[in-house]
Amino acid sequence: MDDYAVGVLTNIALFSFLALSAYLLLVGGEMSFGQQALFGVGAYAGGIATAMYGFSLPLALVAAMAAGALVQWLIALPTLRLRGLVFAMATLAAAEMLRIGFELLHWQREVDGEPVGPDGTQGFRGIRWVFENGIEPAAFLALVALLLAAVLAALVRVERSRLGATVRAVGADAELAASLGIDVVRVKLVTAAAAGALAALGGALFAHANTYIEPRNFDIMLGVHSLAYALIGGLGTALGPLVGVVLDIGLLEGSRVFAGYRMIVFGGLVALLLIVRPRGLLDETVVHRWRTWRKR
Amino acid sequence: MKPAALPVSLVVLLAFAAHAQRTPQAHLDCKAAGEDFVYDCTLKLTRAGNPLAGVEVTIGADMPSMPMAHNVKPVKAKPGAAPGAYEARIELEMQGEWALKLRLSGAVNDLLLLHYEFDDQGARPVARRMR
Repeated sequence: MDDYAVGVLTNIALFSFLALSAYLLLVGGEMSFGQQALFGVGAYAGGIATAMYGFSLPLALVAAMAAGALVQWLIALPTLRLRGLVFAMATLAAAEMLRIGFELLHWQREVDGEPVGPDGTQGFRGIRWVFENGIEPAAFLALVALLLAAVLAALVRVERSRLGATVRAVGADAELAASLGIDVVRVKLVTAAAAGALAALGGALFAHANTYIEPRNFDIMLGVHSLAYALIGGLGTALGPLVGVVLDIGLLEGSRVFAGYRMIVFGGLVALLLIVRPRGLLDETVVHRWRTWRKR
Repeated sequence: MKPAALPVSLVVLLAFAAHAQRTPQAHLDCKAAGEDFVYDCTLKLTRAGNPLAGVEVTIGADMPSMPMAHNVKPVKAKPGAAPGAYEARIELEMQGEWALKLRLSGAVNDLLLLHYEFDDQGARPVARRMR
């Protein structure tokens, strides 16, 4: 596999974590415009862990996920009562606050005689664990793909469980779910924390793939894309967001068919799909038909 | 000032200077090639002020404001006329700020990152506003 193919596949896999994070919240009934900030939290936490404090990558990934879950939980607490557009705006505001926080973050320590760490708008250089440990891009892609497969397997399993049905019930109608005895607040908080952890995992992997991060990496553009991938791919299964990412990054961008006009084509595709299939290509109806067909 | 402060500061400064000398430095000069978003670039690699020749250089690019959303084909730079000079044609997808990732292998194994603003003429290093 050449460098280009490895790069495209790595981008697809990294974006998928963010799209899955947005998908989890959508299934739980919330549309977040702020998942890019959790991606950023994971990137900074993971980078700080390996570059500044010498953690190994696996430990850094765990630390990043914990940080992402905690921050998303803290955002979810005051926004629990909000719905629809107001919730979306609140998440966007929180994300911008975090991004500006990254711009104000100056925290460096000397490593091998060189200052390492976040330096405000100048970014955070030297996240070189992957490079220094001799992990080639293809091997890193394999690691990212393995983690993504594990996350997908876990999500598909949860979706078929009682917990998955509970999250979908809360997402469909929170009042009705509460009247059935479901602890809606708890379900929403757990879903939010899981979504934060997923986005942060993707962010930490992104930081190590890139060796460099800066606050501008985590602006609204990234969040809108991840939301669009989840909506295009469909909310019927965790495989939906992957379809969205592959469609845009893999086919539209990777094939270069539309060159500089890709964003226009992608925007049109999002608009069209939201009219024709408001819950995406792999929506609940398609998934139900597929499962029924398999049982025959 | 404490008596030990001066020697400690000197040691830190010397260590920093020694590290800076070990790390390769890169300077890029790009000119628009006549096609949309295509640039002919000359890269100058130095270490401790001396030209760094015999290095294999691969140049990749990503947009800081849209990370992962562009798949720019990494290109291998060819050795240029002068020692430590390398030439490459970079095909981007739009004008604006790009983060160029230089993968050095062979005589030197390292990874460098450069931020350049590309327009219809060529490219210039990006200066960031501090908060």
